[in-house]
Amino acid sequence: MKLLVCIKQVPDMESKFKIDSDGVWYDQSDLAWRMNEYDEYGVEQAVQLKEQSGADLTVLCIGPDQVKETMKKALAMGCDRGVHIADDMSCLRDPFEIATIIAEFARDKDFDMVFTGMQSQDRGSGQVGVMVAEMLAIPAVTTIVDFAFDDGTIKMKRELEGGVRAEVEASLPLLVTCQLGLNTPRYPTLPNIMKAKKKELLSIDAQELCKASGLQKTVKMSFPEKSSGGLMLEGEVADIADRLIAALKEKTSIFA
Amino acid sequence: MNFELTEEQNLIRDMVRTFAETEVAPSADERDEQESFDRDLMFARLADLGLTGIVFPEEYGGAGADYLSYAIAVEELSRVCASTGVTLSAHLSLGSNPIYLFGSDEQKKQFLTPLALGDAMGAFGLTEPSAGSDAGGTKTTAVLDGDEWVVNGNKIFITNAGEADIYIVFARTDKNAEKHHGISAFIVEKGAPGFSFGKKEKKMGIRSSPTMELVFENCRIPKGNLLGEEGQGFKVAMKTLDGGRIGIASQALGIAQGALDATTQYVTEREQFNKPISVFQGVQFQLADMVTQVEAARLLVYNAAYRASAGLSYSQESAMAKLFASETAMKLTTQAVQLHGGYGYTRDFPVERMMRDAKITEIYEGTSEIQRVVIGACLTR
Repeated sequence: MKLLVCIKQVPDMESKFKIDSDGVWYDQSDLAWRMNEYDEYGVEQAVQLKEQSGADLTVLCIGPDQVKETMKKALAMGCDRGVHIADDMSCLRDPFEIATIIAEFARDKDFDMVFTGMQSQDRGSGQVGVMVAEMLAIPAVTTIVDFAFDDGTIKMKRELEGGVRAEVEASLPLLVTCQLGLNTPRYPTLPNIMKAKKKELLSIDAQELCKASGLQKTVKMSFPEKSSGGLMLEGEVADIADRLIAALKEKTSIFA
Repeated sequence: MNFELTEEQNLIRDMVRTFAETEVAPSADERDEQESFDRDLMFARLADLGLTGIVFPEEYGGAGADYLSYAIAVEELSRVCASTGVTLSAHLSLGSNPIYLFGSDEQKKQFLTPLALGDAMGAFGLTEPSAGSDAGGTKTTAVLDGDEWVVNGNKIFITNAGEADIYIVFARTDKNAEKHHGISAFIVEKGAPGFSFGKKEKKMGIRSSPTMELVFENCRIPKGNLLGEEGQGFKVAMKTLDGGRIGIASQALGIAQGALDATTQYVTEREQFNKPISVFQGVQFQLADMVTQVEAARLLVYNAAYRASAGLSYSQESAMAKLFASETAMKLTTQAVQLHGGYGYTRDFPVERMMRDAKITEIYEGTSEIQRVVIGACLTR
């Protein structure tokens, strides 16, 4: 069995975000970087399946050279080899282009399963996984929060509104997009970090795989205008409490 | 010259920080309050993550990483819990490293491998009631009797004592030799006949790390447990402490960074005179000095660790790193409490614990005064 897990390097969400001078992406100069959190669940699930089935597991990441550090983490968590699609402009590509690159790479490789995060933490389009599945003509099950593999059949749970879970079954080949909480991503242990150095890390130029141009383009990014300040309640405590409850009923669904 | 960490070192920092923040930090205050050591968390989990043998070769169960990776691990643990940081430091650089540096291949297989894998915990017994900074004043004795050494005496203020399984113990084997030459190093296993533990110290800080007395009453250990050559003990101790200082310097650096992080967050949230206090220049200047000192300490610590891995001399560098980092930790945690005002003096905020934890870094594994002696001697010899 052959598995592929697609990961993305994103800014650490505790960074201070600024918009760059072109106004279409974040200023990357002062950002710290880490693996997209959704993808960590994908890597963990893929590694668990590899451990269960003895499958071969490739991790793929698109981006500039610095994404190799994030790929090393995936390798330290248990992926067998890395495929780095070298692309300095990946942050400006739209989801269709990114999906095209991944599908172009995966097309003749006969992967039985592809894992992606449900979305990225920075752009958050949530489109890449399903588009890859479409391009590879395989089914996609999205937003999974539970995963079990048994003799070629995958049983999953999907997260729906209101905490409802839907049980879904599918057979291989299959692509899944992983939701937070699917599993507990393991720590890359120190010996495995050291061993990851020796694993194969292949580099492919994105130009070789990018057979399409984007279908959409970000025209402008901006922070929302600051809304007016909060509501200050003053007076007697009992009175304030009544007015607070009234305001919460009117403006929120807390008491709904 | 390159100040960038390698990808591996960045990953190690990321991994240890995540572990420290999610698993170690939540219980740090409670363990401090109750003076309790949690072996599962503070040692077994470190072993799971491969931290107990970071710097040792894979053939002895280690991870084969460099000394800087070790320094980063101790720093990140100490950033949230100085007791966990010193548990690793005492285990690795004091309890295990002398076996790696001076042990025979057989001793490495028998003792270093379980230590590196974290199946056994290490400790180091040098200090005695009348031999602290003056290690040459060791009064504990070891006499060869047939195939066994018979050890008598006691060691005090021993980190990891009671919990550790393997102890490096220094004893006088030649009463007639000049004071530094008559000392030898031994490997003593917990459970050796005649080996027991005395009182547990009640400490100001690092209260979750056990500190006890080791008592040897006609304690018999195999002849083969002599570490290094007979009479070489003082050298074993000094070499070990050169490396140990990097561990404590990293612990101090972690405490200082933790205090800075807590303070930066506090002053941006705390409002007085209708403004966050971080906007006042008096506060900004203090923060500026704090971060500058932490960064200076970090460069000294990392440089000493780099030199240790590169096989360069590092006695002076590790002494400078330990001196500066520990004094920075004390100064910064005091300042952190001051910037927290009355809240900083309570146990509701971690800076109170950090200030108590910082003090020991100026004392153990060579006081600040001894570090100055080492640095001065390196300069003038």
